[in-house]
Formats: sequence, structure tokens, C-alpha cells
Amino acid sequence: MTESQHQPELPAVEIEGVSYSYPPGGVGEPGVEALRDISMRVEPHSRLGILGPNGGGKSTLIQIVLGVLEPTAGRVRVFGMKPAQARREGLIGYLPQRIGADLDWPLSVEQVIAMPRRTRLRPWLSLGSEDHDAIDRAMQLLEVEDLRDRRIGSLSGGQLQRVMIARAISTTPRLLVLDEPMLGVDISGQQRFASLIDAVSTELGLTTIVVTHDMRALVAVADRVACLSRTLHFHDAPEGLTPAVLAQVFAHDIEPILGELHIDAHTASECDDPTHEHTHTHDCDHDHGGAS
Amino acid sequence: MSMFAQENLPALIAALLVALLGAPLSVFVVLKRLAFIGQGVSHAAFGGVGVAMVLGVAGATLASDLLQMGIVLGFSICAALVIAALGRTQKGRIDTAIGIVLSASMALGFVLFTIAESRHDHDEHGHAHGAHADEHHVIEEILFGNILDAQWSSVWVTMLGTALILLTLWWNRHRIIFWSFDEPVCSTYGVRSNATGNLLLVLLAIAVVLSMQVVGVILAAAVLVLPGAAALHLSSRLKSVMLWSIGIGLMGTIVGFAIGTQTSWPIGPSIVLMQAGAYLLALGTNTGLRRLRSA
Repeated sequence: MTESQHQPELPAVEIEGVSYSYPPGGVGEPGVEALRDISMRVEPHSRLGILGPNGGGKSTLIQIVLGVLEPTAGRVRVFGMKPAQARREGLIGYLPQRIGADLDWPLSVEQVIAMPRRTRLRPWLSLGSEDHDAIDRAMQLLEVEDLRDRRIGSLSGGQLQRVMIARAISTTPRLLVLDEPMLGVDISGQQRFASLIDAVSTELGLTTIVVTHDMRALVAVADRVACLSRTLHFHDAPEGLTPAVLAQVFAHDIEPILGELHIDAHTASECDDPTHEHTHTHDCDHDHGGAS
Repeated sequence: MSMFAQENLPALIAALLVALLGAPLSVFVVLKRLAFIGQGVSHAAFGGVGVAMVLGVAGATLASDLLQMGIVLGFSICAALVIAALGRTQKGRIDTAIGIVLSASMALGFVLFTIAESRHDHDEHGHAHGAHADEHHVIEEILFGNILDAQWSSVWVTMLGTALILLTLWWNRHRIIFWSFDEPVCSTYGVRSNATGNLLLVLLAIAVVLSMQVVGVILAAAVLVLPGAAALHLSSRLKSVMLWSIGIGLMGTIVGFAIGTQTSWPIGPSIVLMQAGAYLLALGTNTGLRRLRSA
């Protein structure tokens, strides 16, 4: 890793020693530690998949990258800026895990996709040609042009998911964060959906972070994988994930997640490959157990 | 007596202004499910009226009118923000918060009225009976409105309030729409979620206080729900929903006002009944059209 000698571009996301504990919920309840000492660096135009069990801190990490949560310790930069600032400048597009929008609203697909750009306008102005171009392009890329006049509440799950991604990229962001993007999509549409995300990222030169507990989603869209279960563990390719690592990450529920995916049976000791960028507390080789 | 008679003019104008400000807000109230908050806020206003009474602020001059309205407004805005804050910290418990604020404010209002009344009795020993009747009349007016008493001074205040609300709503329309449509993610697009929610609630509280003088505490929230609820049955485009809502609000007010001045019906409740009728009509039209299409 000598690329640091010439560094033309700022990393898309840089996280150093980030920890996060949720404040105590009720009287006398202790705060819950969601993340412990996470460090990672996401290069521009790369596609990072973050895999981890439910409750492993994936959504928390996303909220921190988006600047919605402030880490209890550590430092986060998005394109060299504080996350909240990067967000204000429209550099981050985000697809939430659960679509919480109120679909009863009398709004068309186009109105929903245009919403982020509208909120940036001065009150007395309307959308300009640059805005319309960006909105049209987003609709084109996500193949929702034909739906533009449809009422938002009349779409299928997969269509709605595509519309929401179109909304996320309508501000021409440089970083796209997708939280469990496959959740609302039926099995038959998943492959198409994955290649759509792939095409969008390539076309717009985006840096993409996909968070999921679904291996299939990850293999299709990520070129690098981080396993997150309170602490972080890096791998350079999805294929480098060994059953041992997955077992570690998912503890007990590994079988249903693997599905039909073929995973090369690496030996567990490969987990301690020196090319891994981050040493971590979660030990996948018992010989080195407790090394952290 | 004609509704356009000289002495009814301030009342008619105030009622139309209230319809004009209530209609666009009601679309947000219905879609964002704030109807019950509106109820809580209007009943909190009753507590505010009680405070104004005890302090001896009665609306005879423009200054005391404004002072009374200020006190009531303060109460309503606080109630709206307290309800919103409680709803945020205890997710899903917002109905409990509203229930508490609503009943506590009503109770406080009645207690303060009684205190103001007994003071009144002490001041004028010989006229206890007359004073009693007077107080009950006042309470009834506050609960159900007495628009015909409206003076030009309160029309100006209503006009100012309406202009303020509509202008603020228009100025912030994009972020209020975004927040109402998709509160969970709007902050990731740079819309300040809590601030936007609070802004809408403050506008709602002002609207409630202005509506109170026309339809009273009990029915104030109704004019902030019915036009929007009806309009949403008539169109699936936001712009035309807004226009329908304004049309229904104004028509309901004009017809209700006409009935009130021609018959012995009280005006405030008549207006609410007309808007409720429009809601039923819209609901019927929508259901009928759907049946027709699917047949």
C-alpha cells in the first residue's frame, strides 16, 4: 500500500477511531455500545459493501457517515468535510433501509424525485433547466421515466425503491449510501436491481457504500467488503470471505444467509493476511485470539 | 337580517379570512395526521383565555385585545411544542401527551374562570346573579365562538395573522412538504427536521387562536381539518387539492354564515356543519366514481 505517496484525490470517506454508544434508554439503563474503534477509508469511485448481522451497528455507522449521529469518539470526514457539511452541499445520496415516506401524499413520481432540488431553491424561484436535466437523468438511469406521472402511492415495492434511488441521485451526489437496498425487492428482480445500481455508479462515477445482511446483494454490487459486528474487519473482495469469517460475523445464523452462493473454502488463517488494512478486536484465528 | 348588513361585515370578513388560512393548513394537518394535535392546541387555548381573564385582560380596546390574544397564543404555541417534544421522546405516546395537555388546560381554564368570576362578585355585591349569567355567556362564547361580536380591530388582527401564516407557509412550502412527506430522511437532504416540524406546529397554533373567535375552542380544530380532508377525496394532485380545499373552506363559511344570519342557528357551528357536509359529499363522490370505474 504505497499509493499514499501520491494522493491526487481526497478519500470519499475517512473514519478514524470512531466509537458510538447510544444514550441510556430508560432510568438506570446503561447506554448500548454500537460501534467500537472503527477505522476505515473509502477511496473515490470504489464500491464498499458492509456486511453484518442485525444489530451489528451497520445503520449506526451509516448515520454517522451521513452526519445525523455524532460519534462519541473519533473523527469522520466525507470528501475532506464534516459529514453534515458534505450533506448540505448535496454530496451524499442516501437510500434508507425502510421507506418511511407517507405514500398517501398526492404527489407524482416526478414531484418526489424533484423534492431535494426544490428544497434548495429560493422560495420565489422554480426549477431551472439544470435541475430538470439532473432529474430527467436520474429517472433515465433508474428506468422510471415511464412512471413520472404516476401517483407515488400506486407503485410496486421495486418501482418505489428505484424511485427513491432516483431521488437520492437527483442532487448529483458523489457518494451514494444504500441501506439494505434489496429489502423491498422480490427475488426475481434482485439481479436486475443489482446491475442497475452497478450501472448508475459507473455512469455517474459514484462512490458507493452498500449496507446489507444479504450476501447476494453484496457480491453483485461491491468490490470490497467490510464485516461489521461492533468492530470492523476488511476484505478486498467478496470472494475472500471465508466461512470462518462469516461464522464469526453472523455468530449463529450463517446458513440462511449463504443461500446458493458459492464461497471458496479458504483456511481460517487467511483472515490474518497482512494485506488487510485494519487489525481488529474480532479474532478469526484462534492462534491469535485476544491479540487486540 | 342580511349577511352583508353593515354590522355583520367585520364578522363575515373575519370568517372568510379564517377559512382562507385554515384551508391550506388543513391539507398538511390531514396528511401529517396532526388533527388531534390541533384539538390539544385549541383546548390549551382555553387555559390561556382563563389566564387572561384572571389577569383582568378583557377585549374592549385593541391593546387589550392584542394582549389577550398574545397570552392565548403563548399558551397554544407552548402546548403545541410540548406535545411535539413529548411525541418525539416517547415514540407513539403522542396521544397520551395530547390527552394530558388537553384536559389539564381545560381544567385550568375552568378553575381560572371561576376565580375571575368570584372576584367579579366581590367587586359588585348587588349584581351577583347578573354577573353569573354574564360569565356563563362568556364561557359559551369562548367554547363555541361568537363571531357576530367581532369588531374591526379583531378583523385587522386576523388579517395580519392570515397574511403572516400564508406567507410563511408559502415561503417554506418545499421544506414543509418534504418534511411532511418523508420526515425520516428529510434531514439527510438538508431539511432541518425538528425545526420544520415546530414551524408547522407554530403556524397551526396561530391558526387555531385566530379560528377560535369564529368557531370557538371546541370547533377551532375542525376548520383546520375538514376542508383538507374533503379536498383529498377530490384530487390526487397537490395543487388542485390545495385549490379544492380553499374552495370548500370558503364555500362552507359563506353558506354557514348565511344560514346563521337568516335563522337562529349559531354561526360557528353552522360553518363547521357545512364543511362537514362538503366532506361527506366529497367522500360520496370519490366512492361513487371508484365504484363506477371498477364496474
